Amino acid sequence: MESGAFQYQSEALKLHFWDFVFHMLDAFSRAVVSADSKGSPIGSEDLVALRKYVADANKRIDATLAITQNVSCIAADAISGMVCENTGLTQPGGHCYPTRRMAACLRDGEIILRYVSYALLAGDSSVLDDRCINGLKETYLALGVPLANAIRAIEIMKIATVAIMTETNSGRKMFEGLNSGSGAECQDIASEAASYFDRVIAALS
Amino acid sequence: MKSAVTTVIASADAAGRFPTISDIESVKGSFDRAHARLEAAEKLAVSIDRLTSQALDHVYGTHSYEQANKDKCARDINHYLRLLNYCLVTGGTGPLDEWGIAGMREVIRAQQLPTIAYIESFTFIRDNLDIPGDMSQQAAAEFKSLLDYLIHALA
Repeated sequence: MESGAFQYQSEALKLHFWDFVFHMLDAFSRAVVSADSKGSPIGSEDLVALRKYVADANKRIDATLAITQNVSCIAADAISGMVCENTGLTQPGGHCYPTRRMAACLRDGEIILRYVSYALLAGDSSVLDDRCINGLKETYLALGVPLANAIRAIEIMKIATVAIMTETNSGRKMFEGLNSGSGAECQDIASEAASYFDRVIAALS
Repeated sequence: MKSAVTTVIASADAAGRFPTISDIESVKGSFDRAHARLEAAEKLAVSIDRLTSQALDHVYGTHSYEQANKDKCARDINHYLRLLNYCLVTGGTGPLDEWGIAGMREVIRAQQLPTIAYIESFTFIRDNLDIPGDMSQQAAAEFKSLLDYLIHALA
């Protein structure tokens, strides 16, 4: 992960901001777009999945909080883990040397985490696909970012995020007294979050 | 597609920040209203053909519009009701704005359509909704506010 990776991306996004707004879907508008292609209204059968989404709203909110309240912890641990497994990265000539490039790495980790948190809140991967994944591999290749290391960092973020959501992490447990009751209740939503990290990994592979 | 959730995410993304507590609160607010919305959508989907033909009969019963255009009128009323069904599902006016209202004035002017007929149809549906026969009070409130939005856009 190298400096500038997302700056170019975000400039492009500003130019096409309104195009992108219409491509962004959530679980509800995804159902609308698919019903519209058939020209039929949304009836009982299609509403089953959406009612489940509404019923699980508290878990979804807690899971999103699990990310937003632990951003720097998740991202920093992932980048440190990546470097520890590959100490050459911070040596002169390594991709995370000097600190300017290491900082870019941390920033990219947080950006990916941010788009995963949006996708999780929306219950749909379109925002992640359009605004983060689209062109990410090409950008990294052009900037000489080693993809294998980037993928490893995302894997560690995925593991940490799932651990916090399901309260299987070793530190502070975050769900006591919150909406959904306990981390054990958040298994499904944690798998959904993991699937969004997997999309980023698949795109970079 | 604009909905309660995507609006929040688009503005968070424009500022480059994670969803804040207030973002999440506003998403939660739309979930709290979702029960009534989804009920309205479900009931509307079931009765869409009946509501269309009732409105059509009312309009053609009180005015002398060309009988030749009757099926086209029915198609349009059905189309708008379907978009209202989508709006009830998304919790925002996105589907109606993007697929029903954008460019509507131009089309109506070019085809010289009598907008008053549409307005009367939707007003008829709004005022003759059977509560609780068609849908519950809360569901009807969601549906009626969207009908008002559409009537206002047509006027």
